[in-house]
Amino acid sequence: MAHSTVRDMGETERGGKVELELRRGVVVLATLSQLRSPRYGYELRQALAERGLPIEEGTLYPLLRRLESQGLLKSEWRIEDGPPRRYYALNAEGRRALKRLTESWVGIHSAMSRLLEEG
Amino acid sequence: MHANDVIEAYVADVCGRLARDQRDDVARELRALLHEELQGRARDAGRAADEVLALAMVRAFGDPVDVAARYRPTLTIIDPADGHQFLKWSATGLVVIWVTGLFVHFSAPADPPLDFLQRLGRWWGDQLIPSLWWPGVLTVWFGLAARSRRRRAPQATGWKPPAQAGTRVNRGLMSLALFGAALGIFILIEPRWILDVFWGGRAAPEAYEALTYTDTFRRVQAPWLLVLLLLQLPLFVASVSSGRRPRVMQRVELELSAVTFAVLAWATLSGPVMRSAVSDLLAKQILGAVAFMVLIDLGVRYRRRLRPAPTP
Repeated sequence: MAHSTVRDMGETERGGKVELELRRGVVVLATLSQLRSPRYGYELRQALAERGLPIEEGTLYPLLRRLESQGLLKSEWRIEDGPPRRYYALNAEGRRALKRLTESWVGIHSAMSRLLEEG
Repeated sequence: MHANDVIEAYVADVCGRLARDQRDDVARELRALLHEELQGRARDAGRAADEVLALAMVRAFGDPVDVAARYRPTLTIIDPADGHQFLKWSATGLVVIWVTGLFVHFSAPADPPLDFLQRLGRWWGDQLIPSLWWPGVLTVWFGLAARSRRRRAPQATGWKPPAQAGTRVNRGLMSLALFGAALGIFILIEPRWILDVFWGGRAAPEAYEALTYTDTFRRVQAPWLLVLLLLQLPLFVASVSSGRRPRVMQRVELELSAVTFAVLAWATLSGPVMRSAVSDLLAKQILGAVAFMVLIDLGVRYRRRLRPAPTP
């Protein structure tokens, strides 16, 4: 009984890691897809969660910074009905990256669908 | 503690780990986001934002060390692809240094004589702690290798089989091995030959005495070592002349190496090799070092073997 509980926990942990790896790949694309127009961090997180892809705040906010430092996003501080907020949006390079990644994703998605249906 | 204090403490902990040029900017944004998150959580929970809610939020946000790491660009000193190699070389090098040090510390004469614990203490101080230079050197080496690899364009370096792949051999190295084996034969037959070569036979009589084998070594162990060295010679000559080392020859070499290690270990651990105590110690250290190198070579070959073996 104890052995099976430990084994189940191990399997759950391994499954969690695999799922994390799977999600990690799509988080960047999901984020870029929601920044065609300017959004601030909290708003973006809410938008992603509402569309079924909740991302931990500790992951998303640093990611925005990294994408900006990689030259895919531009940002600016704005004051619009509330406290000052940093708004992020795609720049020209970001739009090109989003197009490229979207094409890749469509290809991967259709291939994966075929593979999973065959299985 | 007020919820605001929790957020401020968290922001300070995260941003204190960041570079100065991004610290203030990240702190400003993080503070604003955390306040917004907290208000959102309070709305969802239908209660006021307090310390408990703030603590739960920052804990969910992540450990400040991890969060700060996510804000910084990834800094890779040793390429993850090299991680196992680094660990292997570090561990192997440290074991070699420690074992060699143990051998030297326990075999060297001491005046006044030292007991086991005193020798162990000296080894600890002189060898064990200073040996950490080795992982340091490897860190620099692997770091430079990773940097150079990152700088090269990926397309510019397609994989190529190494020149010595399969049965081909490095003729330069083999010539060196041949020279070493020939030198070993000369020294084994008559070590005083070195004195004649360098001093033209005019070295001090004490030097000749120092380089004289004991009768037991000359009679019992030396012939075995000589036979093994003589058996090595045709293998080296064949490798150098043909530039190849067929699989059969590799197998014979491997078996010969195993026997050589056994005989060298036996010669090192059995009675005195030289008549003079100082020379005997030096000779045993050399024999021990050679035995150790043969053992390492055997270990490396064993670790690198592929099963099933490639077809000839």
